[in-house]
Amino acid sequence: MSALARLFRRGDLHSLAAPYALDALEPDERRQFEKHLKKCDRCAEEVRALTEDAVRLAWSEAAQPPFGMRDRVLAAVRNTPQEPGPLREQARGQREYTPRLPAHVWGAEPAASRARAPQRRPFFVPFATATATAALVVASLFAVQANKTQDKLDAAQAQSREIAHVLAAPDARATTGADTQGRSIGVVASASEGRAVVTLSGYGALSSGRVHQLWLMRPDVQPRSLGLFKGDTPLVATGLDKTATSLAVTVEPDGGSPQPTTQPVVQLALKSVGFGE
Amino acid sequence: MRSTRGGRVGADELLVQVAGGDQKAFEELYGLVSGPVFGLVRRVVRDPAQSEEVSQEVLLELWRSAARFDPRRGSALSWVLTLAHRRAVDRVRSARAAVDREQREARRSHNPAFDQVTEEVEAGLERQLVRRCLDRLTALQRQSVTLAYYDGYTYREVAERLSLPLGTVKTRMRDGLTRLRDCLGGAV
Repeated sequence: MSALARLFRRGDLHSLAAPYALDALEPDERRQFEKHLKKCDRCAEEVRALTEDAVRLAWSEAAQPPFGMRDRVLAAVRNTPQEPGPLREQARGQREYTPRLPAHVWGAEPAASRARAPQRRPFFVPFATATATAALVVASLFAVQANKTQDKLDAAQAQSREIAHVLAAPDARATTGADTQGRSIGVVASASEGRAVVTLSGYGALSSGRVHQLWLMRPDVQPRSLGLFKGDTPLVATGLDKTATSLAVTVEPDGGSPQPTTQPVVQLALKSVGFGE
Repeated sequence: MRSTRGGRVGADELLVQVAGGDQKAFEELYGLVSGPVFGLVRRVVRDPAQSEEVSQEVLLELWRSAARFDPRRGSALSWVLTLAHRRAVDRVRSARAAVDREQREARRSHNPAFDQVTEEVEAGLERQLVRRCLDRLTALQRQSVTLAYYDGYTYREVAERLSLPLGTVKTRMRDGLTRLRDCLGGAV
């Protein structure tokens, strides 16, 4: 490359400072620019100033977070180890932590979303790298445990052991999803153990005489009941075979039904957590 | 906190304590940053459930990687909000890519969830000030900045949407941010 071309290229890179501060670069350009930043003090200084400007745009959007978020985050923090301080030089602009975020959102038609599922981008997270998601699932479990009255503690402890068992499996993976009304389902599953811990939140109490029932869906086989949810207590499902494709939740009469009698209120594909083979 | 100079200094000190594993400091930091983080994420992501999910992940990431904060590169608040913004933009871009794919596959109309802008009436002083200053930019400066920052478009996409050459968009972004700085003055 000629000196002039190099100079031109540098000038060109330099002009990316504002798009960079606005997060408006494509991933490749971002990496290239961050490499350049380490060698260019003037650019680093400009980026610093422009980023502070962009942050004013952020600050002005401050809004009250939803009720319950604080408790969930603080509970997750209590159960999440911190990364050791990195070597600063190494951390500069690289080694970026980019979790694959589970962006599974259900529409009103679970059947349709199931049909599209194979074409979707796999929004899965291997458990080991999905600590954020997993810790939130775990936090919701602990929050539930904390609300137990003494006489229910034995059952809760037995359940905790079940949950710990699933979490400790080497192939344990987590996935969560939420619908547009803020209701969510979280699953930590181990395909080798054939077990899963399932939590529902935001679905509220059903009118008396009705329960949420969890079903295992497999191709060409009738749904199999995995149990009934009791309030917001997590449900431990066992005996899941690898052909399982999804979990579904329906509203059923008290005591549950042998087969679903209503449309699922939520359905979650299990491919991302190692099933569906 | 002994600090009397407002959130900026407070957050810097707290983040250092958080990096040392101080959960109390994290609770205090949560009080300072959760509103801005959630508000920013919601502005970009728009869907309330996804906004909450992304915000929670950002706040937890803040705990996990607090040791990575380098005060020489800027304030703690700017670090936190930069992190939140990047995660929000990642989410909205992958959602957009999924929507595009589905559109191509099914020729369905565009997911209405992305059209619903929740216009909240939370008129903070800072918000009014920023809006007033945004109004003083030229239309192209304002659109270049807000399409990128609030809607998560890359500068190439912005150029396409505004039918402008790439170089012009980069310059408008830079001029827009600089003018915003002059209008807002230094302090938060």
